[in-house]
Amino acid sequence: MTFSGAASNSRIELARAAQGIYSLLARIFGSLPTVRLVRSMREEQMLDSLAALGISFEADFLSVDEERLARELSREYTRLFTGPGTHIAAYESVYVRGEGETSPRLWGQATGEVAEFYRELGLEVPEGKTPDHLGLELEAMAVMTQAQADRLAAGDDAGAGRLAAMQERFCREHLLRWIPAVCRDVEQESDSSFYRSMASLAAGFVEMSCTGVISGNLPEEVA
Amino acid sequence: MRTISRRDFLRLGAASTAVLAVESQFRPLARAAELLEGGRSVNRTSGLPRSFLPSTCTQCPAGCGIIGYVEESRLVKIGGNTKHISNAGTLCARGQAGINALYDPDRLLKPLKRTGARGQDSWVEIEWEEALAEVAQRMAAARSNPQSLLFLTEDVERDPLGRRFTHAYGSPNAIGSAGIHDANKKVATSLTWGAAGDIPDVARCKYVLVFGANPLENNPNFVGMARRFVDGIQQNQSKVVVFDVRLSHTTTFSHELHYVAPGKMALVALAMANVIMQDGLYDRDFIERWTNVSPEQLAQHLAQYSPERAEAEAGVSALDIRRLAAEFASTKPATTITDSVLSGFSNGVQNERAVMLLSIITGNIDNRGGLCMPRQYGLDEPAPAPPQPGVSVFTNPENVAFPSQQAVAQVLRQAKDRQAEVRVLMTHSVNPLYSSPDEGLNEDVLRDENVIPFHVAITPYLNETAAFADIIMPETTYMEDWEIEVRPSLEQVPFVALRQPVVPPLESARSFFEIARDLASRIGGGMEQFFAFNSVSDYLKARISSVGGLANAGGLDYLKQHGIWFDPKSRPNYGSYEAGGFSTPSGRIEVFSPRLAERGFAPLPSYETVQAFRELGERELVLTIYETALHTDGKTGNCMWLNEIQHDNPALINPETAARLGIEDGDKIKLIRSSKSGEAKERSIETEAFLTEGVHPDVIAMANGVGHTGFGRIAQGEKFKKDEVRHRELRDANFQLVWWGDHGGTGVNAKRIVPIEMDPIGGGQAWGDMVVSVAKD
Repeated sequence: MTFSGAASNSRIELARAAQGIYSLLARIFGSLPTVRLVRSMREEQMLDSLAALGISFEADFLSVDEERLARELSREYTRLFTGPGTHIAAYESVYVRGEGETSPRLWGQATGEVAEFYRELGLEVPEGKTPDHLGLELEAMAVMTQAQADRLAAGDDAGAGRLAAMQERFCREHLLRWIPAVCRDVEQESDSSFYRSMASLAAGFVEMSCTGVISGNLPEEVA
Repeated sequence: MRTISRRDFLRLGAASTAVLAVESQFRPLARAAELLEGGRSVNRTSGLPRSFLPSTCTQCPAGCGIIGYVEESRLVKIGGNTKHISNAGTLCARGQAGINALYDPDRLLKPLKRTGARGQDSWVEIEWEEALAEVAQRMAAARSNPQSLLFLTEDVERDPLGRRFTHAYGSPNAIGSAGIHDANKKVATSLTWGAAGDIPDVARCKYVLVFGANPLENNPNFVGMARRFVDGIQQNQSKVVVFDVRLSHTTTFSHELHYVAPGKMALVALAMANVIMQDGLYDRDFIERWTNVSPEQLAQHLAQYSPERAEAEAGVSALDIRRLAAEFASTKPATTITDSVLSGFSNGVQNERAVMLLSIITGNIDNRGGLCMPRQYGLDEPAPAPPQPGVSVFTNPENVAFPSQQAVAQVLRQAKDRQAEVRVLMTHSVNPLYSSPDEGLNEDVLRDENVIPFHVAITPYLNETAAFADIIMPETTYMEDWEIEVRPSLEQVPFVALRQPVVPPLESARSFFEIARDLASRIGGGMEQFFAFNSVSDYLKARISSVGGLANAGGLDYLKQHGIWFDPKSRPNYGSYEAGGFSTPSGRIEVFSPRLAERGFAPLPSYETVQAFRELGERELVLTIYETALHTDGKTGNCMWLNEIQHDNPALINPETAARLGIEDGDKIKLIRSSKSGEAKERSIETEAFLTEGVHPDVIAMANGVGHTGFGRIAQGEKFKKDEVRHRELRDANFQLVWWGDHGGTGVNAKRIVPIEMDPIGGGQAWGDMVVSVAKD
């Protein structure tokens, strides 16, 4: 994300906003839902800001007791992403065939490439995580946008530029190659409006942030 | 999503940040990326750097040395370790298909808790913290009666951590399922020469008698034994004579095959022994010096087993028996190989002893090219060792005289009969609901929450048994795990080998070491002291501390680098008994077993008729369930490459028999258990007839390893559709090749109709005592 043309203060603001959204999406797709997550997702401020983007939830999310909802969503998350049996394996290597590969596969070429990317960033793959899992790739973007905001705040424009370039590369080489597809699968497959809507948000947001739409030239208001 | 404005964007950003103060899971790199050890190698096609690590295969009991080749942290190939003393670089199909086991698309990678009734296949993912806390809480509460823990594993000897965990809890009930196959042989050899098992020195012998064994397809020491068997034939010109009920792969390498009526091989062996004694071809010195019988006493006992009787009852010509007896006794060195088609009967221990007698009377015992005793390092239990918790009805059932590997086939039935209380059942990478007899009964037991109030399954797969768990903890596979591995040496030089992770654990799978340590510390009550290892290295080092010489060579570091260690100066010490005698009460080979006499069994090697075989009806045949080279009972079910080769098991019938029964090749048939063969919940199975001369006319034979009702989509031959969204994880080209579901199906598990019946001496399952009537469907 370059945020070109915007004033320094507003570039920091935009980077922090992007970090917030990536963190949220990483949380939603990276691990089981909890009562706390459900509660905060139903806060007015959240619902309003999502509605402004045309994203809404249905009664199955909005009008169920939060403890029950967390339980139901946990089962749905399990069914969608964990199995046993048929499920959406949300790994880049399952969606994208590497050059030397005859077909996509779990822990394939992309997995190694993503791990290498994290190493270049100076990050260690968290224990018990697969490098190219949907949740972890989104979180990597959160880490990069966070660092970018910090550099901007410290007046280190060169450092912020390097991080912007890293994001751009990560988008081009990884996110854009498969996030739209996996989000489409979730939208098609999920019985829950929560996961359908969040998949739609993830697909839209990744595309927007990766194709430079958020360039600081965002219109103040959309007609 | 519509186009976003700057204001909307900032607003959503602010709202998102307010949701949770999410702490990133990423940590800065503490050190430079830790590269896996090994030499330098690159992929010849992609040029990618390739690293490799030695480890140990556990796809079957043999424990071959393997090398895992890794590119970009993906395991791309498994090969044999040339430094390993047993397999010396060779590796079987099951070993190579270990990649399938690691990257199994149906593998469980998150802890699961059931949400519906037991066995209803309805699960929710839970965090490790919750899984560990709940299991520990249930186990702590149940510990007022520590014997109420029932721990089932594949083989207790190969699961030292499982046994330690069970004993530390205070329960003796660490039960292995391996005993259903090899208990009779272990007990027969223990009673006779004081060591469990044998190692035929086939590479150096001149003559081999194979009784109901199939070393080229299946053997406890599989490829190591197979290559030595072939070496013996090709380099040593050894003669091979096979007695079997079926034309196995081994017979294709043999000089003679003699079909023997099922369950009656001991008659042939005893008739040969009789000839050797009557004709004075025996080794008088050896018998007098090292056994507890005299040649005269033995000759007198064997007189009842004439070659003519063997011909009449077992169907091998008396002339051949006399000729083979003379050949065997006059060709030195000579040996025998035995396996489950000899010992898997209710008279299995006696059958084993009858064949062993041939090696004993000809002096082919623990000599170069003869029948050798197993040599294996005994490893220490790391201090502090948990106290031995005594015995229970599960470890020492009343109906088995000499329980060795315990009678796992019947433990669930014992639980059902309330012979002892079970509060917690822990199953560790074991699948009794596929591999044990009477699956229907076992399934009822696991379903019943009154009998089994709590079942935790520790396994990488949702196999038939884990499907009936309350909580499943996803365990690492053997490619991601540590253990010290010892096996009897095929070169008579003992060794120590290492199993180490060739790749890091996938997702949140955890090793049994971590699970056991974590549970022990949460259960507490003194249990934690037995798992107070700072790291897995400390545990491994303690295990090998007593192996002299290894420490000087570099200890654990040496094993990490080479995968195996043996004393380089050591040479096979044939005739090891000469120094201190045999480890029996008399110090001699107990051809006459006072221990058997004491318990009311025939003390000299004898033939006892299997009751069910006394009179076979017009439509009755004996069911033989045979092992192939491609599957390990209940374990390799979801491995893609193996299923691609073997996914079906039609019933083999001799054409003569088929003509009598009016059955043609490819007919749908039904196998109905005869009332002579006892009771099991399911009475019949349906399959297809496959006519072949390669099976004894009284036998109907089916392969083991297929016919899964659970375990995964490959095991059940589900066809995967390329573009179906929910099958995306199976877009791997391999998995699109599952074609056999529509072409003949995925076989039938014949063990379902086998009742739980054991040899009363050794406790081994009497798989072979199975009479079925065959009907056209």
